[in-house]
Amino acid sequence: MQDFIIVGSGSSGGILARSLQEGGAEVTLVEAGKFFRKDTFPRTEAAYSSQLFWGGGLEFDDKAKSAYLRAKCVGGTTNVNQCLMNRFDDLALEDWRQRSGVDWLTLDTLNPHYEKVEDIMELHTFERKDFNRNAELFTGGCDKLDYKWKYLRRGQKDCKIEEGNDCIGCLGGCQRDSKQSTLVIGIQVAEKMGLNVLSEFEVDSVVHHDDHVVLLGEHEGQKKELSARKMILAGGSFGTTKILLNSGMKKSLPSLGKGFCQHPQYMAFGIFDEPVDSHKGAFQTVASGDPKMREAGFKLENVYAPPIAVGMLFNSYGSEHQRLMKKYRYMACIEAAVRDQPEGGELDIDKKGNLVVRKTLTEQDLVRADKGIEAINNVFAAAGAKEVIDSPFYFGLHLMGGCSLGVDPVKSVINPDFQVHGHKNIYVADSSVFPSAPGINPSLTIMTLSQKLGEQLLKN
Amino acid sequence: MATLISKAAVRGIVRLGNIIIPGDGELPSYEEYGGYEHVDDLLMYAPKNDIGDLGMVLTILSFMPKFVLVWLVNKMSASHGKGNGPWILLRQLDMGIRGIVLSTYYTEKGGASFSGIAPLEGIDYSITRMED
Repeated sequence: MQDFIIVGSGSSGGILARSLQEGGAEVTLVEAGKFFRKDTFPRTEAAYSSQLFWGGGLEFDDKAKSAYLRAKCVGGTTNVNQCLMNRFDDLALEDWRQRSGVDWLTLDTLNPHYEKVEDIMELHTFERKDFNRNAELFTGGCDKLDYKWKYLRRGQKDCKIEEGNDCIGCLGGCQRDSKQSTLVIGIQVAEKMGLNVLSEFEVDSVVHHDDHVVLLGEHEGQKKELSARKMILAGGSFGTTKILLNSGMKKSLPSLGKGFCQHPQYMAFGIFDEPVDSHKGAFQTVASGDPKMREAGFKLENVYAPPIAVGMLFNSYGSEHQRLMKKYRYMACIEAAVRDQPEGGELDIDKKGNLVVRKTLTEQDLVRADKGIEAINNVFAAAGAKEVIDSPFYFGLHLMGGCSLGVDPVKSVINPDFQVHGHKNIYVADSSVFPSAPGINPSLTIMTLSQKLGEQLLKN
Repeated sequence: MATLISKAAVRGIVRLGNIIIPGDGELPSYEEYGGYEHVDDLLMYAPKNDIGDLGMVLTILSFMPKFVLVWLVNKMSASHGKGNGPWILLRQLDMGIRGIVLSTYYTEKGGASFSGIAPLEGIDYSITRMED
């Protein structure tokens, strides 16, 4: 019997696969999506939008107000995100300590684990020389308004930006293994040490026994069962929560599914007379660094998107749509990400076992969103935009909660040792354990919690 | 040509696509570009239930008069920022239909008989990707 089965291969699963395999364990990594590598990732926006994501592109909440981009491939969302690496601050962790009662949620405890994760990847903190015109307009506008900003730090190696490479293309997977996804820094490294990867294996539920766990699922169209001494669910907020709900654990874990957060992101476009070419070069290099914005519950980042995504974000059709799309090269773009409250979100399953997402933005969420959008418009006005288009859509790009970490099994799902309460052989350290939204990119902290779990499992 | 949805459903996409992207002399209309001929490339990755539902809706819409389709596209567009009830279905339709239309328009694959300036070229979009 395997020592460990890991379900899900993104920020959590990919790091755990390497950590446990390096420690000499027998590990099988199970992933619902396909196994792409640098030479097989789809090459166009239309192709990767349909092939790399759950739902064939987008998923929605039950009211179709919020859209979700959730990757379905080996390496998970780390293949398609921007690999921004930020440690949490104590503002985020203090809220977690209060909600969870877990006293090791401190920077003192986590910093050594952050360092170990950072040591296995190449990191680049952007500088002014990396800016494209979009970043120049963003920072110029912020400077005029006295909004503090900071350079972003990204997991990347030899992206060849100076030689003309455009990294917006790697929203569909990196064709150079430059982006430090968990495919690159975790899974491909672990494969050389004997990691067994089963892709296109969708797990439905798990059955916990005293000395092992059985998973039930479907692999390449066939029903399958796999067993291991320990199982780690790393399918993220949606995937992990769905598996535990389908496993009938709601009765013993009343908080299962509760506390879903998503960092709703609002994008706006400023149109200028001269080309901005926001899609060229390093397309995401700066963010707000203003303590007032942090306290107010939102942050700004410069960003852009390829044409299909930009077209979707404009709530227009006909001649107006075509007018705006012909301005594609003349647009700057800024997003506001809101630190939303967990009380407004819940994950559930319907009678067929399909995931149902219920998310209502609270009054405080909406106030924060309004402030973020106002700040974006201020920056565009200061930068000299001739026209500003606020997209009416918001995306949940960071899916968090549903299996909250905590000491109380009534108010939480995962105990301080990352075990599902009452189920000693099932572990979770992915974004589903977040007690609340941190307001900071979660990838590095998911990897860090997973690295901590990996050490713990090997020690035991 | 599409095989995952009926010919009538494809006709429905084309009629809605022409309202969303009518063409303006510089950029082709949705129908002129002909990217819908490759709609299977997208739909093969969508959940089968979704394809069935969408195909049925598109087939019904394919028979509707143009003013009904224009009204529908207008309501779909207006649904964002509105409440629940019928607005939920309109938002779902909007994202589904516009997703297909835009994904088969802003793409390198046009129709077999198209010979003009492709939409991506028309908006002057190009990126450089350096492989390893």
